[in-house]
Amino acid sequence: MDDVLAVNNLKKYFVKKGLVGTDKEITRVADGISFSIKKAETFVLAGESGSGKTTIARLILRALEPDSGTISFEGQEITNQNDNLKKIRLGCQMVHQDPYASINPRMTILDIVKEPLEIHNIGTKEERNSLALQALNQVKLEPVEDIASKYPHMLSGGQRQRVAIARAIVTNPRLVIADEPVSMLDVSVRIGILELIKELQEKHGISFLYITHDLSTARYIGHRIAILYLGKIVETGPITEVLSSPRHPYTQALIDSISEPDPDNLYKEKKIRINEPSDVDTYQGCRFRARCPYVIDKCMQEPDLEKISEKRQVACFVKIN
Amino acid sequence: MKSMVTLSVNDLSVQYQSQGKKVQAVDHVTFSFDKNESLGIAGESGCGKSTLGLAIMKTLQENASVSGKILFDGKSILETSDSEFTKDIRWKQISMMFQGAMNSLDPVFTIKKQFEEILKKHNFQGDKKQAIELAISSVGLSHPVLDKYPHEISGGMKQRVIIAMALIMTPRLVIADEPTTALDVLVQAQIMILLKKLKKEGLSIILISHDLGIISEIAEKVGIMYAGQIVEFGNMQEIYKNPKHPYTIALLESIPKLQETKRIIPLKGNPPSLVNPPSGCRFYDRCPQAMEKCKKDPPKIKTESGFVMCWLHE
Repeated sequence: MDDVLAVNNLKKYFVKKGLVGTDKEITRVADGISFSIKKAETFVLAGESGSGKTTIARLILRALEPDSGTISFEGQEITNQNDNLKKIRLGCQMVHQDPYASINPRMTILDIVKEPLEIHNIGTKEERNSLALQALNQVKLEPVEDIASKYPHMLSGGQRQRVAIARAIVTNPRLVIADEPVSMLDVSVRIGILELIKELQEKHGISFLYITHDLSTARYIGHRIAILYLGKIVETGPITEVLSSPRHPYTQALIDSISEPDPDNLYKEKKIRINEPSDVDTYQGCRFRARCPYVIDKCMQEPDLEKISEKRQVACFVKIN
Repeated sequence: MKSMVTLSVNDLSVQYQSQGKKVQAVDHVTFSFDKNESLGIAGESGCGKSTLGLAIMKTLQENASVSGKILFDGKSILETSDSEFTKDIRWKQISMMFQGAMNSLDPVFTIKKQFEEILKKHNFQGDKKQAIELAISSVGLSHPVLDKYPHEISGGMKQRVIIAMALIMTPRLVIADEPTTALDVLVQAQIMILLKKLKKEGLSIILISHDLGIISEIAEKVGIMYAGQIVEFGNMQEIYKNPKHPYTIALLESIPKLQETKRIIPLKGNPPSLVNPPSGCRFYDRCPQAMEKCKKDPPKIKTESGFVMCWLHE
């Protein structure tokens, strides 16, 4: 098995109680999620806000306790035992969306990058310093010595995100979870960060879990993709295949909604193949039923992920073509 | 709807005075668009594109000084007194959707109250109820929304409310500053469909955005802004098909496409600070084609449909 991470049937429901403990409202943020990530692979979790992408990241790192399901990291199941938790929290690091919020403004860049080493008690003070400087070098923040003594406010958004990436790779992790790492950045610096992620992957064989709503950047960096809709994976497979011939109506709607810079757009009518949502119980039958333009009677039942080719799966009775 | 407008901006500069420092947010900007045209202003954060919108609306902060000319249907906006501008033009002829405005809806009032507030502020004389209903139906919202509080409606609906508020006095020109950022992809696309529809019905739009994709949905004319200057201006068709300024080229190339696999070469560096910007071409440090000459201020070179500020095209 060369899976770095294997997630199996992961479930997490959030229960919102009414004021007096009555009328409960249940949100199924992760409802039977399964996927695996291979060594040196970038796996994309794509979906809109509220689809459960970030919750899945938090479940993997055990910042949240799953209701059921298993997570294995390098073949070992992660439970709440201490040595276990340590393993995943050392071997799996995270890069957050907002580089203005994710790094401490009162710490120098060097201190920020070496903090994970201190937490995990790695090396002597000198070794930690040199590892941190190496990490800054890896993310191409130059001149390294100069940057190391600066504070976050002296850096641009793109540079800050590089600091966050340096902090993530300083412990030499097997897997990095990148949660919308470029969505807050300017268009012209995004590619720089994506290229950096690719390069780190090629050099060190790091696997990435790339969480995003932006299919174009996902396409640029990812190998395989899973499309999430309200806590369920509705389609998964190699990213080129999924995005060039989507089989789930939701995937198609997401692709429709992208406006690429194309002079012809001006004269074309923009169409998204999706219906206005009506009041249908989302957890009865297919969750996309209320907005799906292809809905049939059978969609009252819940579709399971079904194999449609060797590497692709889709949870839809219609399977558009 | 009334007929579309013309706007011409000539040599517009805006300078902010802050803690003894001068920030040149908009630097000798020139552009214009005609009847039946909409304009897209593209640029990255801090390039001055929002300030440009605020200058046209005459809503700049007090520490800003403005020079140049803005002609709206031939009338000079900067020479119009504030009271006259408020009485005749602001919101009645030109209105604005501010960036992140959907988060500025007042949480303690219903949507209807907030519409009434605008009408009152702008001395609306006609049938208020009818005006509100017309505005919300033009953005695809239905009546029940009026009795809701902002927290009860989704982000996409809030953004529609903001658009309806900008339309309520039936202006002829709307300045939309990043109207789709912070919205989900599907909702973003729906807002763009709405703006396209409003444009078809006769509204002129200035769309300010970092996203060249959505600009191509709306704008006949495009200005590319970099470090306070419009470095390239012209017909959208010309700029997208045949970009001339190296920054425009880099910007268009840096957007990953869904059906393309080629690797993109990232642009190095960051835009210069607008506090004491360097002389010469502002893009000099990052430009792959920089030459010795570029240390001098680049001239505005005429192109087919506009201009480019670059020595390469001399």
